[in-house]
Amino acid sequence: MTSTKAPGHATRSSTAPGLVLRILLLGAVLAVTVWIVPVMIGQRQWLWLAVTVLAALGIFVLYSTRRLVPGKYIFPGTFFLVVFLIVPIVLTVGYSFTNFGDAKRGTKDEAIASITSNSVQQTANSRRQALSVGVTGGFTASEDPADYTFFFVDPDDHSVREGSSTQAATAADPDSITVTDGRVSAADGFTILTAKQVNEVYGTLKDVGVETSDTTALRPQGTTQAFEGTKTLRYDAASDTITDSISGAVYSVKKVGTSEYFVDADGNRLPQSWLQGVGAANYVRLFTDSSIGSQFLRAFGWTLVFAAGSVLLTFLVGFALALVLNDERLRGRRIYRSVLLMPYAVPGFISLLVWSNFYNRDYGLINQTLHLHLDWFGDPTLAKAAVLLTNLWMGFPYMFIISTGALQSIPKDVLEAARMDGASRLQATLKVVMPLLLVAVSPLLVASFAFNFNNFNAIELLTGGGPFPADQYTRGATDIIISMVYRAAFGGSGADFGFASAMSVALFVLTGILAAVQFRFTARLEDIS
Amino acid sequence: MLIRRKSFLALGAVGASAALLAACSSSDSSSSSDSSDAGGSSDGGGDAPKADANADLVIWADEAKATALKAPAEKWGSENGLKVAVQTVANDLQTSFVTADQAGNGPDIVMGAHDWIGNLVQNGAISTVQLPADAKDTTLSVALDAMQYNGQTYGVPYAVETLVLFANKKLTDTPEPKTFEELVEAGKAGGADAVLSLPVGEQGDAYHMEPLYTSAGGYLFGKDSKGQYDSKDVGVGKEGSIAAAEKMKELGKQGVLKTSITGDNAISLFTDGKAAYLISGPWAIADIKTAKIDFTLSAVPGFEGMDKAVPFAGVNGFYAAAHGKNAGNAQTFLSDVAGTADLAKAMFPKNELPPVNKELQKELAVDNPEMAKVAELAEKNADPMPAIPAMAEVWTPLGQAEANIIGGADPKKTMTSAGKQISSKVS
Amino acid sequence: MTTPQHTSRRTAEPTPRRMPLGRWFAEIGWRHLVGFLAVVFAVFPILFVLSASVNPLGTVSSTGIIPKAFSLEHYRTLLSGEKGPFLRWYLNTIIVCVVVSVAQVALSVLASYAFSRFRFTGRRAGMLTLLLIMMFPAILSMIAVYSMISGLGKIAPMLGLDTLPGYIIVMLGGSLGQVWLIKGFFDTVPRELDEAAIIDGASHWQVFSRILLPSLVPILATTLVLSVVGVMSDFLLGSIFLTGDDHKTLAVGLYGMLSGDRSNNLGVFAAGSVMIMVPVIVLYQFLQRYIVGGSTAGAVKG
Repeated sequence: MTSTKAPGHATRSSTAPGLVLRILLLGAVLAVTVWIVPVMIGQRQWLWLAVTVLAALGIFVLYSTRRLVPGKYIFPGTFFLVVFLIVPIVLTVGYSFTNFGDAKRGTKDEAIASITSNSVQQTANSRRQALSVGVTGGFTASEDPADYTFFFVDPDDHSVREGSSTQAATAADPDSITVTDGRVSAADGFTILTAKQVNEVYGTLKDVGVETSDTTALRPQGTTQAFEGTKTLRYDAASDTITDSISGAVYSVKKVGTSEYFVDADGNRLPQSWLQGVGAANYVRLFTDSSIGSQFLRAFGWTLVFAAGSVLLTFLVGFALALVLNDERLRGRRIYRSVLLMPYAVPGFISLLVWSNFYNRDYGLINQTLHLHLDWFGDPTLAKAAVLLTNLWMGFPYMFIISTGALQSIPKDVLEAARMDGASRLQATLKVVMPLLLVAVSPLLVASFAFNFNNFNAIELLTGGGPFPADQYTRGATDIIISMVYRAAFGGSGADFGFASAMSVALFVLTGILAAVQFRFTARLEDIS
Repeated sequence: MLIRRKSFLALGAVGASAALLAACSSSDSSSSSDSSDAGGSSDGGGDAPKADANADLVIWADEAKATALKAPAEKWGSENGLKVAVQTVANDLQTSFVTADQAGNGPDIVMGAHDWIGNLVQNGAISTVQLPADAKDTTLSVALDAMQYNGQTYGVPYAVETLVLFANKKLTDTPEPKTFEELVEAGKAGGADAVLSLPVGEQGDAYHMEPLYTSAGGYLFGKDSKGQYDSKDVGVGKEGSIAAAEKMKELGKQGVLKTSITGDNAISLFTDGKAAYLISGPWAIADIKTAKIDFTLSAVPGFEGMDKAVPFAGVNGFYAAAHGKNAGNAQTFLSDVAGTADLAKAMFPKNELPPVNKELQKELAVDNPEMAKVAELAEKNADPMPAIPAMAEVWTPLGQAEANIIGGADPKKTMTSAGKQISSKVS
Repeated sequence: MTTPQHTSRRTAEPTPRRMPLGRWFAEIGWRHLVGFLAVVFAVFPILFVLSASVNPLGTVSSTGIIPKAFSLEHYRTLLSGEKGPFLRWYLNTIIVCVVVSVAQVALSVLASYAFSRFRFTGRRAGMLTLLLIMMFPAILSMIAVYSMISGLGKIAPMLGLDTLPGYIIVMLGGSLGQVWLIKGFFDTVPRELDEAAIIDGASHWQVFSRILLPSLVPILATTLVLSVVGVMSDFLLGSIFLTGDDHKTLAVGLYGMLSGDRSNNLGVFAAGSVMIMVPVIVLYQFLQRYIVGGSTAGAVKG
């Protein structure tokens, strides 16, 4: 064991070029920050503003002093880690306290806008009108609907009407208007917008109705046409209700399950809801819904077995092959290495698709070649074996390459020394190579475990979590937690991110407990090194 | 050692310059103008130079449809002085679209099957469209019905799909069986490896199983007095569904239905001449023709003495995104697509699906009688898939239950539990 | 590492042929046998992919390990661009892989150095946190990342959604992904080496760049290959972020074809995967010179 004190680098003085470089770097950071912060404020990107300011502060603190040496090395990678992994995790924790999911993505205002603007009914037997939009003065992309005047030309009788959001449609003065190709092309006192300009401000125009009677209005449909229709659902802000002008039904805000909807007196609800906080409801569901809770725990158990099994299998096979093929007297080592790398070089989803066909009971390559009749994906145990076998195929090259690299970086003289001392090849391997190699790869095994813990593709693309026993729909025999969570979040049934987030967070906590155990394990490892 | 280290670092330098190259080349393609400096144009104003910065209309579709749509849509654009971008979304188009639209980064138009409508509407992701007054005369009624949701029209249909029965004439002497029993018998007599190729898979496939399910009297959701689906009336687990389950178990026992036939190999089993019959949709026709199989195509038969088999009709359509940046152009495009069949016609050679436009159908029937036949069967025999969001809760449990039953599970118990699962999710 | 390594080379290594057969098998031959079995296991699915890529029918059930018919049609389809700008995807993939992998290895090495060589508060907690974060089901946080990048695009459009730089910086979130791996190897380099250098007056940067880095070249080269493969096979993140045809990577583009029709596009994407495999294998061939390090260090030829 060496000293646990930090080496005394901090006392050394920097070289002149180093100093210049440092000043340049800090200057650049300052310049970028000063330049981009106003943009962020302008765009109301508070999250990015916080990220930028904190990062700039961090850079200044770390790189302007000679202390905090480890920080200088850790910062660059950590920055990306924090921004693209930790911040999203924090946001995900936030989601777990909401009803975020299908029909509950936007704000209440957005839901109301969607409800009302989708309720327009085209008037029966009405004709499409050719639409032109005019503004007084030049085109400025105003967001006030009242700034736009609409001109309609009837395709049959060629009558021309004009109106706006505040002024009902009236016959236009024929003298002040020019109609070309059945469309108003010029009007006195107005600039007629081009189709592109109409498109640009369509967000403002699309909900405008130019009244033609008490109930009907002409509405733009696209940039060049208008149709006559009635908005049948209207929102009243004072009472917070939506009224159907045809049936007379009144929808008021009521809670259905954990989310609020617009519901009428008979209990029919409008489909659109909105994002709401639901407190701990998702967690309550996770822990009280017995079918989910127990399935969650069982999936967790298999996740551990799968991850540990994959790591052990791939490592044993990869390491053994590396040892066996690392004899310098062996011809064709490079060829072996290149060929054994191949499984790893195929993009995972393609390997998995190919393998999933291999396991087919009647038409799969494995059963056909070996004349078996195993129901690989129909039997839970076989399916688990198939998953592990496939993952072995996909993962052993990784371990093989790493072990080969590691063997190469073990100084040859160490081995030579051992052999000079009379150790056999095998003894030298076991006593000298193995311990050194294990020091090098144990952290890797831990990391590989972490990867397989969330190896979504390996499950989802191979078995889809199946086989599912009859009567069981939440978890299949090969489901690991993440594939189960994924189905809750995006899968077959409607997306429920809130609940899926709660599952992820619960998983995270469980993992944390595991990590605490790991903590002791690594502590011991460190003692060895 | 020194030499080696240097060249290794040189590799790093190559990497770094490639990074620079990346920055440049991608700004070439992604932003039209100035932004070669990191951070881009801060004062460039509102229009975000994204991939579609200059596009006046962005359409998202899956790979097959995007390939077919690209040229016709661009042609429409040039006629109208607009730049149209057709983009393929690789993974899960529907979810990606909903997410993107919500964040204000979505396209102006999305293409998809009509059963998405319920979900898209509840997420506020699409707007209504207005079809021309003569739509009823020009378009198949099954397609118009499919585009309706809660009494509103949400999309412009262009093609219709449904399941049909394909028979390999070399492997059976009864190419158009009238009953399912007849099919099984003829298939067995023909001596092919497999009587019927109907994808089941380990996870089940409720879509492909629907004709058998309905023939035995099963239904998914009942309809209310207004003809809308009622999500509280779940048909899975009811009498008819159990009768269907018993039939499926029997067919599983006979080896006619098997979990080893999956979406991956169903069509190729037939094109390779290993199965006498295939139940699949119009998307299989091109492959069957390429494989030079002598085939006929007819309605999926029902069970003897039971109802007729009613497969789903799936209607492909264009939908206007609610938060698209070019909603105006989108509506203009949709009006044009709805008004004439030109676009559907131009798409046909690269994505052969039965068109919903009656004129176009007649026109295509000359060279592609199969397509016209499928369209006819869709109109006469099929029911549009329910578009209500509750359907999302049906596919997995029902398919799963059917696969398990075919694999030998108890029909009644399994089907009932699937029904319970669905009812518990659909509130 | 400063020891002249060639002295350790056996000068009179007997060539296999001169050995009696029995001894040859006991020492060398069995290794070939093991190697052969491993190769069979490794290669048969790949042969299937190769065979599918030249099978004109291109379906799963008509493909065996040995091709029954031969046609380069699927390669032609890909290169002709009728399924999308394949060459452009190729270029994009190379750009993304090079930038992300080099950054990933570089940033991981820097951090590993600190974690291995310095003792500071929060060191072990930091390593553990890293592990824990790697274990978080990141798929779910994709929604959050999506909205973050959407916001970033409003500030700096070239880093927004559907841009390669935007995708690249998201991928950089995994920059410390190799820390655990590399730190393990740092730990095997005797600490006496850097302590001696420090006594000689070297700064921490000099210790890092002149002493530790060179001795880790084999493992860095290895890590680079692994990192390239990892970056290359991402499609979940990519398919959410990259929608424009010109901005896709190979994995995203190919996955798009696959999701279109798994049964009948097999031939085309088998061809695509062969074309993905080739650069990886070439890269590994190239880097083997560095990976097969220790024993040949200092020797003229690699």
